[in-house]
Amino acid sequence: MKKFRYTLLFAFAFSLLACEAEIDQYTPQAGDVDFSTYVALGTSLTAGFADNDLYRSAQINSYPNILAGQLSYVGLSGEFRQPLMLDELGFGNRLVLGISAGSLAPVPATGTPDQRNFASIAADGPFHNLGVPGALAAHLLFPGYGTLNPYYGRFASNPAESSIIAEAVALQPSFFSLWVGNNEILGYAVQGGVGTGITPPQEFQAYYSAILQQLVATAKGVVANIPDISSIPFFRTIPYDALALTQTQATMLNAAYAMAPHISFSAGANGFVVEDTAHPAGIRQLQAGELVLLTLPLDRVHNEGWGSSTPIPEQYYLSVDQVNNIQQAVESYNGIITSLAAQFELALVDVNQLLVDGERGIYFDALAFNTEFVTGGVFSLDGVHLSKRGNAIVANAFIEAINLTYRASIPKVAVGQYPGIIFP
Amino acid sequence: MRNPIKITLLLIFLNYSALAGGYQVSLHGQRQAGMGLIGTSLFMDASAAFYNPGALALMPQQISILGGVSGIFSNVTYQMTYPSLYQAQTDNPIGTPFYLYAAAKITDRLVAGIAVNTPFGNGLKWEEGWAGRFLIQEISLRAITIQPTVSFRISDEISAGAGFVYTMGFVEMERTLPVEGVDGEGKVNISGNTANYGFNAGLQYAGRNGLNIGISYRSQIDMAVDDAEAIFSVPLSLSGMFPAENSVAVTLPLPANLDFGLSYQFSRELMLGIALNYVFWDAYQDLTFNFETNTPALTDSSNPREYSNTLIVRAGGEYKVNNSLYLRAGAYYDPSPVNRDYFSPETPSLNTLALSGGFSFLPNSQISIDASLLFLMGMEESVTYSPENFGGTYKSRVLIPGIGISYSL
Repeated sequence: MKKFRYTLLFAFAFSLLACEAEIDQYTPQAGDVDFSTYVALGTSLTAGFADNDLYRSAQINSYPNILAGQLSYVGLSGEFRQPLMLDELGFGNRLVLGISAGSLAPVPATGTPDQRNFASIAADGPFHNLGVPGALAAHLLFPGYGTLNPYYGRFASNPAESSIIAEAVALQPSFFSLWVGNNEILGYAVQGGVGTGITPPQEFQAYYSAILQQLVATAKGVVANIPDISSIPFFRTIPYDALALTQTQATMLNAAYAMAPHISFSAGANGFVVEDTAHPAGIRQLQAGELVLLTLPLDRVHNEGWGSSTPIPEQYYLSVDQVNNIQQAVESYNGIITSLAAQFELALVDVNQLLVDGERGIYFDALAFNTEFVTGGVFSLDGVHLSKRGNAIVANAFIEAINLTYRASIPKVAVGQYPGIIFP
Repeated sequence: MRNPIKITLLLIFLNYSALAGGYQVSLHGQRQAGMGLIGTSLFMDASAAFYNPGALALMPQQISILGGVSGIFSNVTYQMTYPSLYQAQTDNPIGTPFYLYAAAKITDRLVAGIAVNTPFGNGLKWEEGWAGRFLIQEISLRAITIQPTVSFRISDEISAGAGFVYTMGFVEMERTLPVEGVDGEGKVNISGNTANYGFNAGLQYAGRNGLNIGISYRSQIDMAVDDAEAIFSVPLSLSGMFPAENSVAVTLPLPANLDFGLSYQFSRELMLGIALNYVFWDAYQDLTFNFETNTPALTDSSNPREYSNTLIVRAGGEYKVNNSLYLRAGAYYDPSPVNRDYFSPETPSLNTLALSGGFSFLPNSQISIDASLLFLMGMEESVTYSPENFGGTYKSRVLIPGIGISYSL
């Protein structure tokens, strides 16, 4: 007894000397959900695609993998397996920040990708992150999609026969996430509205509903709507009037376009000259509200007169009508996603609103974020996909939605603890 | 690079506020420390020069010399806002404030003295790579104050005194910049020093019945560093945005204090007292950094602080066991001056409850060995730095053992 008392006294004295300020942590709760088996479905955003490629560290920092890490506090059992690339070069298209023509710009990464990136890793499966770059909602349901899409082909259990949804169902998930619908609109947008059309909303609704019906058989889940594609940096970095002219240049160009009086130049900023098959003259100048794509070859603008003496081809910009098409489609799709989420009693992540907030600028953990290209911190170097910190922000938005809908208390992550964009 | 990377170089001096707010540890005498830092109405030795120049004239000795040092072992824990399991802790270096006082009776009524102390000498160092590193990673402040003082006994019961306060400040801080290169994240290190002066004045009433009342006022001293060195380490491609040789101007007010003390000698053995310290923290409204060279990524910044005045309540006492042993105990409550919405981790100042104890051992009538131990509990509070959305719960613990020696003639 006496000994015990001394021990207690000693412990008290020691705690004083150690002087640790301890704060009790809360115990995360799973709420109404069994999180034991989580499967993620979606597109490149879900796969962890970033910087124009799918590479290992970006996959490790994908929002589903971050989410899975947090779900381990509320019952996720076993490994959340992802079809990881072997290196940081993926299929060899990765961009890194470098110096190009004296200024900071995304440039192709040097090095040769590991050839095993192109080989099947199906033997390492089954995989829980089934996000496939380039996939449409329809593709998730499509048996044999692995023969058409190498990102799926490399991990499909049987590329010629299996479908993404079948792989998901085979895991008998207790919880799923689904973020799809971006590519239906993005495919149209990144081709300047001249290639593939936007998948009609009714078709999207049918595919989306079919996917959910199969998943809800065993699982509860979370779905995310899609952001306004036209507000991502890919379309917002090069201004429509980035043609800066001196008075002399303007005078020369005006003379050259004397036959096209609807085209005129003045000293300062001018709308680019573009091809437009819908215009009677076949060419015109860009107006406010029209968007230039990030893929516009700026060297040709500087060296070959693109946008001034030579009209820019139609695939490099979006007209006002095309922007409207995109925004209307986003609205329709999000209406569908919202009503299906309600119908199937799923949590809904309002990514669209998150991006709107992001445009104004937003702080997370003392870090400033906005939607600007490179410096904004949310988007990766391709201007379309999320950065690692962008994935952490999205993972937190998923957690918030799940907590709200299912009365869970999954812990969020500290955004600043994820890697930023690397400057040379 | 249109987006300026905002360099809100928080608080150069923040450390000061860390000490003087929730950490307010006026370690200017081991005897006072043992009694919850009451001191305004006491005149046991030359340390009155600091606590209340008005009381110095009443010191019992012809000559009093004392010195001492303390060790500040502090720890702050941060828990990110719910729902999160993220925690971080400080790994603070041990602060070692010291004091040195000397005073002598020039005449029966006039005492002259000098006080040298380090009112602000701690450091705050968060664990490497912690989530708040973009606000503060590490900060340290050392201030040394020199105060020549005179004190005059106007009547048998009333005395007054004043001192000229000269304060030298040395500061250094490090913060992580939100830019990352192959070698890791960018950093900025700012260091500089400054000096300024003010005054300390007080009045003392010493009743024959054993009642003592003191009041003193220490003026606000603005610590203005005009040309602190700002060293940036950033990825090469951004070096143009963060000029290598840059300097920054920043001012931090060291607030005025109005102190009131009352003590009563109940018997030969027992003395009890209280003290109230009113700290004019509202002088600290914002912290502004003006860089000599600005770039689109490096703009001047003004950071709201909006501190409020606080009242510290102290109580303590001394018991004389015999001629060679005195025991002391005390406590105080020190509310945080920090605005809940502008709570930055460079100043994790919390409402603090402190307990203290101490003793003096006198091997002979001239020498006294003085020791004290303070334990400070910064109470858990959920706050946020709203301009940059960094919130969470903070809690602190501080243990301060101290030792000193006094010589009386």
